[in-house]
Amino acid sequence: MSAGAGRTEPAVRGGRLTIFAGCAPGTGKTYAMLQAALRAQAAGVDVVTGTDGGRWPETRALAETLERLPGRAEAGELDLDAALERGPALLLVDDLGRHNGPACRHRKRSQDVEELLKAGVDVYATLNVTCIESLQDAVQSILGENLPDRVPDGVFDGAFQVVLADWDPSGLPARLEGRFTSAQLTALRELALRRCADRLARESRGEPEGYRAAEHILVCLSSAPSNARIIRTAGRMADAFHGALTALFVETGEFQHVSGADRARLEEHIRLARQLGASIETVYGDDIPYQIAEFARLSGVTKIVIGRSAVSRRTPWGKPVLTERLIALAPELDIHIIPDQGTLTAPRRPRPLAAFLAPPPLRDLAKSALLLAAATLTGFIFYYFGLTEANIITVYLLSVMLIAVVTKSSVCSFVASAGSVLIFNFLFTDPRFSLHAYDSSYPVTFLVMFLAALLTGSLATKLKSHAQRSAQLAWRTGVLFETNQSLQKAADAGEILAVAAGQLVKLFGRDVAVYEARQGALESPRIFPAGGQKGDYPWERRVAEWVLKNNRRAGAGTETFSEAPCLYLAVRAGDRVYGVIGLAAGDRPLEAFENSILLSILGECALALESRRNAREKEEAAVLAKNEQLRANLLRAISHDLRTPLTSISGNAGNLLSHGALFDEETKRQMYEDIYDDAMWLINLVENLLSVSRLEEGRMTLRLSTELMEEVVGEALRHVDRRSKDYHLTVESGPEYLLARIDARLIVQVLINLIDNAVKYTPPGSHITITLGRMGEQVRVSVADDGPGIPREMQQRVFDMFFTGANRIGDSRRSLGLGLALCKSIVSAHGGEISVADNKPHGAVFTFTVPSGEVELHE
Amino acid sequence: MNKPMILVVEDDAPIRNLITTTLRAHDYRYLTAANGEGAILEASSHNPEIMLLDLGLPDMDGVEVIRRVRTWSDLPIIVISARSEDADKIEALDAGADDYLTKPFSVEELLARLRVTQRRLAAQRPGGTVEAVFTNGRLRVDYAAGCAFLGEQELHLTPSEYKLLCLLSRNVGKVLTHTYITQQLWGRSWDNDVASLRVFMATLRKKLEQEPGSPQYIQTHIGIGYRMLRVE
Repeated sequence: MSAGAGRTEPAVRGGRLTIFAGCAPGTGKTYAMLQAALRAQAAGVDVVTGTDGGRWPETRALAETLERLPGRAEAGELDLDAALERGPALLLVDDLGRHNGPACRHRKRSQDVEELLKAGVDVYATLNVTCIESLQDAVQSILGENLPDRVPDGVFDGAFQVVLADWDPSGLPARLEGRFTSAQLTALRELALRRCADRLARESRGEPEGYRAAEHILVCLSSAPSNARIIRTAGRMADAFHGALTALFVETGEFQHVSGADRARLEEHIRLARQLGASIETVYGDDIPYQIAEFARLSGVTKIVIGRSAVSRRTPWGKPVLTERLIALAPELDIHIIPDQGTLTAPRRPRPLAAFLAPPPLRDLAKSALLLAAATLTGFIFYYFGLTEANIITVYLLSVMLIAVVTKSSVCSFVASAGSVLIFNFLFTDPRFSLHAYDSSYPVTFLVMFLAALLTGSLATKLKSHAQRSAQLAWRTGVLFETNQSLQKAADAGEILAVAAGQLVKLFGRDVAVYEARQGALESPRIFPAGGQKGDYPWERRVAEWVLKNNRRAGAGTETFSEAPCLYLAVRAGDRVYGVIGLAAGDRPLEAFENSILLSILGECALALESRRNAREKEEAAVLAKNEQLRANLLRAISHDLRTPLTSISGNAGNLLSHGALFDEETKRQMYEDIYDDAMWLINLVENLLSVSRLEEGRMTLRLSTELMEEVVGEALRHVDRRSKDYHLTVESGPEYLLARIDARLIVQVLINLIDNAVKYTPPGSHITITLGRMGEQVRVSVADDGPGIPREMQQRVFDMFFTGANRIGDSRRSLGLGLALCKSIVSAHGGEISVADNKPHGAVFTFTVPSGEVELHE
Repeated sequence: MNKPMILVVEDDAPIRNLITTTLRAHDYRYLTAANGEGAILEASSHNPEIMLLDLGLPDMDGVEVIRRVRTWSDLPIIVISARSEDADKIEALDAGADDYLTKPFSVEELLARLRVTQRRLAAQRPGGTVEAVFTNGRLRVDYAAGCAFLGEQELHLTPSEYKLLCLLSRNVGKVLTHTYITQQLWGRSWDNDVASLRVFMATLRKKLEQEPGSPQYIQTHIGIGYRMLRVE
């Protein structure tokens, strides 16, 4: 289940909860709490009270000395938002078991407190121990009435501290007189003490979470009113054994006919089981014991808890009772049978009978009548041709079976069974056209015929429902498979969520809203309407944000924001919420089957999002590692190669400073020139390094604009090596204006590097030609020289970083082997390509492409 | 030519020395300031004719200096920036700077920029008012008649090209940013407008320049904008 699986453990992080427990109203809980609060305040803690002290004057007086929570707090309600906004260090809350009014976000106050704790606020709260969920049966037996306010056991056990406000019932305060008898109070007090002792015992054991798996307790869910008691018993047992608890619902064919009230009760039971820390599972099948046994075997259940009502109910065909079958199917399991106390039960469920007796639709009746008439007609024909009665009986049996197949109501096949016997008796047995029968063997014939018809009919019905169920299961598998397939195809997070939403719309026919979570905040919702037109649901961002923050479902049909028109679920994997999906609740709640498929799809969706995220993280890590490597290489190369020009500059300058007068003009000129050349080389290196760092920082910061290639080339030519004036540099371009979508600065750098390379590796006087041209959607630029060219085997490697051709050319200057590698990164970043080829008759041609640009001219 | 007084605003002493040495070698008179406040003080008290301004000053942003100076003075400001980011230069130009130099710059480049600015000053000085006819080398723009000539030959310009030519000639010597030009021409500056500007500029040049490969009148500043040069 999506929300609240596992124990609620509010005190694990954030604020601490201190519970002031008592066994009945008026035992001094509030007083003890206020006293403790005053002590805390005296110690300098920022205390705010969310209660006015209640009914008693003493406590009211105490509460008035504390800061009262601002905002609306009429009729004992706690204003959660005001409390969160005020954010005190310690907040006092009265009556933890209370049910909130409709204006509140949560249905229960304990949920308010949970949210406060999560927000880091320490809470002091009072609690009647009688409100604890698992003690309900005991309280019921003591007081003879059921208390509406409940607190999940997890809240009590998870509290940081429990202070029991105890007192001796013999000195009963006058204010309690009349409400409870002394015996009742003693019993309640014992209950409270025992519960606190249990909590202490559990705490002192300090059980690790993983230990729970030792015992696995299974409880079966049903809509029977007595089921709640069984669930609570199972919960207590799981606690006592420190075992895991699973609540199983076996959905049978009959479930389709279950009334709304029963459905609501089942929902209530599921919620109760979840509160007690059970994980909820649903299986499908008509053979309940078999399903239970199979589930128990597969999930390693050690104990099964069932109620006696389930034991005593026999199936119409006199099959062995559920327990016997369970024992037969799963002999290694402990089976605990809980007695069914009539006191709790509402009138015994008339469900199967009611469903059975529900008047069949007219269509089905008409179909049945038609088929019986056809059988009768066939019977007359058989009779006319003198065929034996056995044949006619067979025809009727056949018709009853057909009726069972084509009608939905089981009444039809029953009526048809009886009808066929009567008609057969009336029309075909002597004396004909009367319900009498002369032959004494006829009653036996009729009985056998009736039973045969009835059995045939019910078997056919069963077969049909089985077929339906397996079709449903196959459909579900198909849907999940399809979802999985399309999720894998989805390119990004938005698309994954859209695919999931699309599937949900298709499955449930309800409007779906998708909020993608990005950096802990929700994007604006995307609505996927079911009916083609946009539904006018008020998609409540507030609820969705709550879901994101608390990682729980909320909205219609849940305990939080129950008034919202939609159900909101987190798309999550583990603790990470990737988004929130809102589903219009419509006029009926989701069925268990729908719920499970909804969760499966959300799970698939979250998995897809997570694996995508993991892949991206891995990729980023790889890129980072590569960049690190690159940076290390760069540093090594630079620190080595920078020394040479720096030595030359500082040495020459030093010489000129100290012995300037000693050198002749020619020598001095040479020295100046060396200084200048080396400085220029350093400048060029720095420019390249800047470009490299811009590209390699992982942020591809291309500043694209539409540029005129001629301007770009012109700019590059202004910055090339000054020795280029010894070369024949020409630019060739066609008559048309070549526009390109480029980052001009970077492309200028590419051109400078290519031209400088041509200057560097060819003898003075060589021809260097820059050619501009268009090639489809690309602009092609080539730099050709007629120097010695590049050997084939080296052409592959010239674009590698730190590769230099220096070793081959005698008079070449030093090189970092950075220029061409940079050109390649820049051109690839633009989505273009760079390559080198041989020039005719000799020399090298470097060619690169960049995307061309378009422009609309408005004169 | 009478050498103008130049205010050098630069906090880095070696660069300041380099500039002042260069200026001295070419017989310019100069003042120096090492920070923004000093620059504003010198500019207001000594009335220099050109300001060389480093953008990265210790006490305030160079662009702020430009804004403050522009409140009372039109003196040409040449910005010197170590930042390779074009955005800074564009900001400075849009704030009212006339030209820019990027570190590392060569001494020759610095002198060339000074000469350009001087020529502009010289051309402006006589009338002080906007002339009806603009002459620059062989180029002649007759604002009143709304036509332009290269030598004796009339240039056949489209309306956009003519507007562009007028804008550049009225700001001769000054680097105009793409944004400024497109704002002036079309009242807006979208990416497409800048691209259009490039095409109009190319067609205008084809009509104006003898050799479009090495332009004589209009200079391109990649990533920044354009400037019309004063031609002797």
